Amino acid sequence: MSTSISDAYVSFQEVQKSYDGENLVVKDLNLGVERGEFMTMLGPSGSGKTTCLMMLAGFETATSGEIMLDGTGINNVPPWKRDIGIVFQNYALFPHMTVRENLAYPLEVRKVPKNEITDRVEKALGMVQLSGFAGRRPGQLSGGQQQRVAVARALVFEPKLVLMDEPLGALDKQLREQMQYEIKHIHENLGVTVVYVTHDQSEALTMSNRVCVFDDGVVQQVAPPDVLYEQPQNAFVAQFIGENNTFLGTVRESQADRCVVELGTGEVLKALTVNVDGVGSQTTLSLRPERVTINPEAGSCDNQVQGDVKELIYLGDHIRARLELCGNDQFIVKVPNAANHSHLREGESVSVGWLSEDCRALDAPN
Amino acid sequence: MAKAAQPIMIDGVPLKERLAQAERRKKYIAFGMVLPLLIFVIVTFAIPIASMLFRSVDNPRMTELAPNLVQALNEWDGAELPSEEVFEVAFIDLTAAKEAGTLGRIATHLNYSLSGGRSLILKTKRKFKKIKSPPYREAMIKADKRWGDINTWGVLKKVSDRYTTRYFLNAVDRDFDNDGNIVEKPEEKQIYVTLFLRTLWISLLVTLLTLLIGYPIAYLISTQPPRIGNLLIIMVLLPFWTSLLVRTTSWIVLLQTQGVLNDIMVWLGIISEQGRLQMIFNLQGTLIAMTQILLPFMVLPMYSVMKTIPLYELRASQSLGANPFITFWRIFWPRSIPGIGAGGLLVFVLSVGYYITPALVGGSKGQMISNQIAFHMKSSLNWGLAAAMGSILLIAVLILYWLYDKVVGIDKMKLG
Amino acid sequence: MYQSNYRGWLGRLWHWVFLSLCSLIFLLLIGPLLVIIPLSFNADSYFTFSEGMLRLDPEAFSLKWYREILHTPNRPGSHGSEWASAAWTSLYIGICATLIATALGTVAAIGLSRPEMPYRRIIMAFLISPMIVPIIITAAGIFAYYSKYHLAYTDLGIILAHAVLGTPFVIIAVTATLTGFDTQYLRASYSLGARPIKTFARVVLPLTFPGIMTGALFAFVTSLDEIVVVIFLASEEQITLPRLIWSGIRQEITLTILAVATIMVTLSVLILISVELLRRRTERYLAPQSANRA
Repeated sequence: MSTSISDAYVSFQEVQKSYDGENLVVKDLNLGVERGEFMTMLGPSGSGKTTCLMMLAGFETATSGEIMLDGTGINNVPPWKRDIGIVFQNYALFPHMTVRENLAYPLEVRKVPKNEITDRVEKALGMVQLSGFAGRRPGQLSGGQQQRVAVARALVFEPKLVLMDEPLGALDKQLREQMQYEIKHIHENLGVTVVYVTHDQSEALTMSNRVCVFDDGVVQQVAPPDVLYEQPQNAFVAQFIGENNTFLGTVRESQADRCVVELGTGEVLKALTVNVDGVGSQTTLSLRPERVTINPEAGSCDNQVQGDVKELIYLGDHIRARLELCGNDQFIVKVPNAANHSHLREGESVSVGWLSEDCRALDAPN
Repeated sequence: MAKAAQPIMIDGVPLKERLAQAERRKKYIAFGMVLPLLIFVIVTFAIPIASMLFRSVDNPRMTELAPNLVQALNEWDGAELPSEEVFEVAFIDLTAAKEAGTLGRIATHLNYSLSGGRSLILKTKRKFKKIKSPPYREAMIKADKRWGDINTWGVLKKVSDRYTTRYFLNAVDRDFDNDGNIVEKPEEKQIYVTLFLRTLWISLLVTLLTLLIGYPIAYLISTQPPRIGNLLIIMVLLPFWTSLLVRTTSWIVLLQTQGVLNDIMVWLGIISEQGRLQMIFNLQGTLIAMTQILLPFMVLPMYSVMKTIPLYELRASQSLGANPFITFWRIFWPRSIPGIGAGGLLVFVLSVGYYITPALVGGSKGQMISNQIAFHMKSSLNWGLAAAMGSILLIAVLILYWLYDKVVGIDKMKLG
Repeated sequence: MYQSNYRGWLGRLWHWVFLSLCSLIFLLLIGPLLVIIPLSFNADSYFTFSEGMLRLDPEAFSLKWYREILHTPNRPGSHGSEWASAAWTSLYIGICATLIATALGTVAAIGLSRPEMPYRRIIMAFLISPMIVPIIITAAGIFAYYSKYHLAYTDLGIILAHAVLGTPFVIIAVTATLTGFDTQYLRASYSLGARPIKTFARVVLPLTFPGIMTGALFAFVTSLDEIVVVIFLASEEQITLPRLIWSGIRQEITLTILAVATIMVTLSVLILISVELLRRRTERYLAPQSANRA
């Protein structure tokens, strides 16, 4: 992050939240969102991400700490004065109003002149490709169309910030992917700041400028998607995002950015030091399946072990192989389905290898 | 979610306390919205009923008319004939009542419990003029020797009690004899127990009849596609929305001896002109009319349960080899029982208190307890007895209502 | 019983037996109401179909009983038709009672639907009880008590009694719409910039309106049809429509009563249709997606 959190467009400063006065659902949150950024809050359910969104929207109050928007504290500003557009999980389109009336509603309550309302509603509908549907009621639209209306309604009054609370959760897979791109394009075209909540990691990676991973009320890592995937800072992030092979072991040696780890089964592996307490501490080794090579040329990998092929699953472009090695019978390797590649058979024993820089030594589970 | 190390404080106040405060404030707001109606229902409905039912034990007559005597009798232990002082108080109070013109009411009141009580008081009244000075005891016994009987005083003490169980005893065909024992009323006067039993019997019959004819149509409606189902529901609802009096009228038109049904049967030759059937103004009339009128209350709850039974369960049953009858009996019927419970309780509660229909089409054999209460309120003016019967009826209804809440839940009640 | 495409002769037989049984039951439900409609156009004064009516002879039908409604002389001292003035009395009492019941009932239902409401179950049971307590007990209690405060024999007394009898319907109908009401709508409205008052007027009220109207209609019909309280509480001069029908049935039932009944059945059908439309509207509002699927 180039600027400090307090200078950001949206900022949470030491924010805590408790519903019952005993348990904290959000613990000491510090987070900044830049103007024009698409920030996704990602985490399992109950991790506190939706609570953060609700505090930003003004439907929950922070127990302590300060939430700032565009340079002013908004802790005591009621929701209807915040100028924040929200796309709700189940859209919350008013069923007794037509699409046009739904879109005109935020403009009417702001006393925008009549002819300007007509223009802006038309423009917003055009943006989501629903120009012909202005006279329909939400009940007469499909799920995807309702979703678009909800997005248009959250944008039509040109809010300072748009919040989206798992907006694609109710759609089927194909439609969800299509909507991901549409929302991304709208964001790029309008340059509006978006805070997006989801528990779907692929959605987060597809759409965001930066992703903020939540667990147990604590931010685990804030980073752009590629960094998050390739350089997870702790075992939770590595496990939560993408597929991941793990080993538990103890650090035996540590030199510069590399370390030597002894596994419970006695094997010794070399790894990149990321998040360990030093020699003698427990660590989780994390390795992406696509970084593993089958039958590597001698000397090309600084980690090389023997494994038994347990199961092969044909997936078209690649073959997913489950191996048992170093006491882990859930070790996954992705073998590209390429002409020159070696073919595996179930039950055979193969040599696998990987680079120590792809194997990240992270914090141990507690 | 980990616990915070210590209670979370804000401006020196534990957060927990603040949250509790906010919660309380919300409670007050919600309660405040309900309060106006609560007060309205208490004032215009609950208190009137409670004060009416209180008359079933209330016995203020003697306290109003002869307050000193009541007090003196309270102190008297009843072991032997009262002392001269009590006789004196009795003389003074009765004289005062005579002058105020209320002696007749005392006589009537005493007569309820003491046969000949009226004549005793009125005979004494005529002789009061001769009594000039104490001792009153001898003078009164001389006026009527029954004053010398301890039993007379016992009854007088009893009728002077501020509260009485007499009305309740009467409501179950019992009374006090002159010795204060509870005895059954003479056989020809035993009418109320029979009436209570008949009311329960009619209600039970109506419940069973509505169930018997309501179940098939609830089943039919729930298995139809929405378009036809809605139309049929409207047909069930139409009588529901039509004036009770109009429906009762139509039954009279249909069932009376010169009515449509009899005409048709004569025309078809089933019965002769002389043999026209008496189908109304008797128990049968009450049953027929009540069954039709209460049928929607049975059909609607059953229907709303039945329509939640998914079609695929029935299909699953058939695919597992059960024929339609077994499928119905093993799958559909058990799942529909909650609806029967809801509808049955509702119909039973409503029929126990039925008044209008029995009054109009019940004749003398089709009357229910409500009609007798109305009679004592409006005609015989024995409000105490009406209140006692009303209390018994209300308790029965409240038990059923409680049961309904337990089994079905009041918040599940729906309007069509 | 359960519908299947494959049916043996037994299944087919049973199917037809079942359908005829159901038709008979529907005839029992609706038949009595249908009989009085043609009878009310009888040119004779008998409660049975004359031969002329069966032959559909136009001569046998007439509107004379409907004319009679307008020309039945009123009690001495009042003018106009007896029926018309009774209808006005009923209408006046019904509207006043409905207004009270709807106003109090709606606010209470909103309170009862709040999650923080204390003792909800018992209070709800109490507020619904006017519907359950036998009407004769209510009427007796109200008569004895209202007399003490000079409310017996007054319009106000009947209005208050009818209002209290109508409130359970309002509560049930409005709570039903509110339990389906999604708090997301409130949040959406706030986030779009509408203050609480505006949100109430433009979102909460329109969405619960069908429920309020249904409750009000029920309360109105309850008052319009109520006879027992009126018998106890009303003076000689306060004659409502049910009371006129009541005394008509008890003394001498005439075809005029059938004509009135026919008008009332027509009215019921109209009310029923409006309630059904309101119900559909609620369903559409509260479940936009499922409505879309259906």
